[in-house]
Amino acid sequence: MNTPQLRNLSRRNFLVSSSALVVGSYAYTTGFNPAFANTTRTLSPSVYVAVGSDGIVTVTCHRSEMGQGIKTAVAQVVCDELEADWEQVVVAQAEGDAKYGDQNTDGSRSIKNFFVPLRNAGAAAREMLIQAAAESWGVAASECEAHDHAVHHKASSRSASFGELADAASVLDVPETPTLKSRENWNHIGKSRVHVDAKDVATGNATYGADVTLPNMAVAIMVHAPVLGSSPIDVKVPESAKNDLRFIGVETINATPGPIGFNPVGSVAVIAEDTYTGIKIADELEISWSDSPNQSFDSEVFQEKLREAVEQPGQVWHAVGDANSMLDGAEETIEAVYETPFLSHAPMEPPSAIAKVVEDSVEVLAPVQDPQTTRNTIVGAQSFALENVKVTPTLLGGAFGRKSKPDFVLEAVELSKRLKRPVRVQWRRENDLQYDYFHAPSVQRYEASLGENGMPIAWRQRTAFPSIMSTVAAPNMVEPANWELDMGFTNTPYRCDNQSIEAAGLKAGVRIGWLRSVCNIFHAFGANVFIDELAEQAGMDPIDYRLAMWDGMDVIQGALPSEPGHEFKIERLRNVLQKVRVNSGWDQKIADGRALGVAVHHSFLSYVATVLEVDASDPNYRVTNAHVVLDCGTYVNADTCVAQMEGAVVFGLSGAQRAKLTFKDGAIQQNNFDGYLIARMPDGPSISVELVDSDHLPAGVGEPGVPPVAPALSNAIYRAGGGRRRSLPLV
Amino acid sequence: MAITMNVNGVEHSLDVDDNTPLLWVLRDHLGLSGTKFGCGRGLCGACTVQIDGSPTRSCLTTVAAASGRMISTIESLVEQQPDLVDAWVEENVAQCGYCQSGQLMSAAALLATNAAPTDEDIDSAMAGNICRCGTYGRIRKAIHRTAEGRQ
Repeated sequence: MNTPQLRNLSRRNFLVSSSALVVGSYAYTTGFNPAFANTTRTLSPSVYVAVGSDGIVTVTCHRSEMGQGIKTAVAQVVCDELEADWEQVVVAQAEGDAKYGDQNTDGSRSIKNFFVPLRNAGAAAREMLIQAAAESWGVAASECEAHDHAVHHKASSRSASFGELADAASVLDVPETPTLKSRENWNHIGKSRVHVDAKDVATGNATYGADVTLPNMAVAIMVHAPVLGSSPIDVKVPESAKNDLRFIGVETINATPGPIGFNPVGSVAVIAEDTYTGIKIADELEISWSDSPNQSFDSEVFQEKLREAVEQPGQVWHAVGDANSMLDGAEETIEAVYETPFLSHAPMEPPSAIAKVVEDSVEVLAPVQDPQTTRNTIVGAQSFALENVKVTPTLLGGAFGRKSKPDFVLEAVELSKRLKRPVRVQWRRENDLQYDYFHAPSVQRYEASLGENGMPIAWRQRTAFPSIMSTVAAPNMVEPANWELDMGFTNTPYRCDNQSIEAAGLKAGVRIGWLRSVCNIFHAFGANVFIDELAEQAGMDPIDYRLAMWDGMDVIQGALPSEPGHEFKIERLRNVLQKVRVNSGWDQKIADGRALGVAVHHSFLSYVATVLEVDASDPNYRVTNAHVVLDCGTYVNADTCVAQMEGAVVFGLSGAQRAKLTFKDGAIQQNNFDGYLIARMPDGPSISVELVDSDHLPAGVGEPGVPPVAPALSNAIYRAGGGRRRSLPLV
Repeated sequence: MAITMNVNGVEHSLDVDDNTPLLWVLRDHLGLSGTKFGCGRGLCGACTVQIDGSPTRSCLTTVAAASGRMISTIESLVEQQPDLVDAWVEENVAQCGYCQSGQLMSAAALLATNAAPTDEDIDSAMAGNICRCGTYGRIRKAIHRTAEGRQ
């Protein structure tokens, strides 16, 4: 009997010891659902779950854990169908391997995409255990049932534990279409569970990227080029370093020509036996850098170009009626321009990666959101065969999209190859802010004319921002992509019989990437503040005005076709807005000196309405209370959904209140948390969250709470007498 | 020159550069990786430890300054204040968890000097600890829960 090897290893040992790199040698079956193969006598009905003869259920989480609670949620789904005892479950982290299916942990889609496969895995294991019990008792399987980590035959009062049955079950055929439990019998799905790593985190025993140590490992401290595209020309190492026995040397990495992609940027790596030696010497290097076409990049100039872009017709993505001539001929129109700046992910854990190259193979341990993309990127950059590239995610100390991009892993691989020893690349906060894949700045221009009833009769909206595609795909892909625009712009729920929706793109001189909720951040901001402006013009309540605009509407169609079962339904958007109206006491008299602002947005197939309450007497309009309503369809861990909404409010407030990055002469002007201002404890309001009870398909949770925050704050500040604020950050 | 210090009740004698930040001594030389690196400039609080009971940013504290002092890290908290650790788990505070060692060490120091902190006390004591995941509300709850349990 092949007992799961992970049981006797704490998670920490499992990653830190050399045997940790055994994650993949565990005898999983090779097929991916539904092609279950039975090649091991440990019951492994799919790659996601194994039951040992000791009764321990090992659930393999193939998505990266970055605080969204996916390890816990995956275990809940599998255990529910399996009828396993929560206390006898171990969650293992999968390495990057296509057998697991997609492992790209972003886009708020782990549960959305894997809810059914994970249920199938748990249900298949349950049916196999029942079959094994029935055969041993000589009874029909239909007379047996599984619950509480055992199979029971009620008629004869017999029971057998999962551990006792695992061996016999493991030789049975794996059912391809197991019967899934009905919703009313769920005992883990939809309930609240404390995260499986909670105790390890609270005792300092959780393992993040920089916590991994390998024998004979060197540390690399990076000094990156001040400007994207520059490479080191000359490096002077201080004399003091030359006598330092803990200093190993410097290595230069040139900027990669061609598309930026996930390639390393130009840098000098200081290699040392320990972190501080590397830091000390890195700070004393004298480096000259080559010229770069990006050295004239200036974010103020760039912002001005975005402003100019929205004053011109853009690429038309949606046109009905005759918005242009109606607006040009109207006696009165309402126009507004909304702006948002560059932002950084700034996860609390700066990027770090461990690589161990041995001849033509490499093992990587790193906090990456997508170990498969990391593997493929390594294969593209080096001469390794895919099967010789092993990537195992550690826990991620925050990511928010940053750690989808494995540039820092490629540095570690390159340096380990050169040094012929394991290397940990450790970025500092300055590296992290300097070489983020930044959240794009944007400008949007809205213009509408209203009919006698106050509702829009003509409407034109334009957006301009640098496309992510120009960084990750090809430099000439400058125009915003359809999927970027379907983040709150081309799929806007604010429709009009005469409407033009237009977009323009500009190439920035820095890297652009996706940050938690991506283009929804700026599109939700422009749309929700503009609606409040129209409501005021019409003399209507902002919530009433939204509801009136949706009167008679059913489904919103964006630039891309909807996924089956995930149509954008106005009914659900209306529902969360009406609920937050009640929860926030929107129609009640509120306390003196307080004001409420609202925003509502659909993103990642979920629906979120947010009301923020601000203190009008505070010059910074401190947010005192937040009310959030989330409809994400069927959810798995209720408390995680609440936590993600709480976190999204704070994350959104960082961007809404003070965070802003600027560039001059191609170089970033903020380099740590004294320049890039993140929300702190006193900024964190009291937050109440309602989850809509829904049997719709599961949808996103990690991201959709963010977009409504900034517009709700702007709208609250206006109602508090702070004026209409159309540019982020707001205070 | 050898430096001696007491970490979590264990005496250590180390031969390191006097200017080495305590953070890197803990992580690289003593293998205590629970204390985290976040900013290197005392701006985020991820590296918070206690020195003689006071919450201290280990990224700014040289090993020479810590010499001869009593240092407590997150690894010892479960023995020092197990109810605080339990409250953190029961409130399901952590999301990514990376900042939580520092949050806990700041919270432990607060509770050691203020048995019943108000929200304002908590805001003031914890303002130096950034949580990018935004767990501030739960941190407040966990501190209150611990304080109430001690009444």
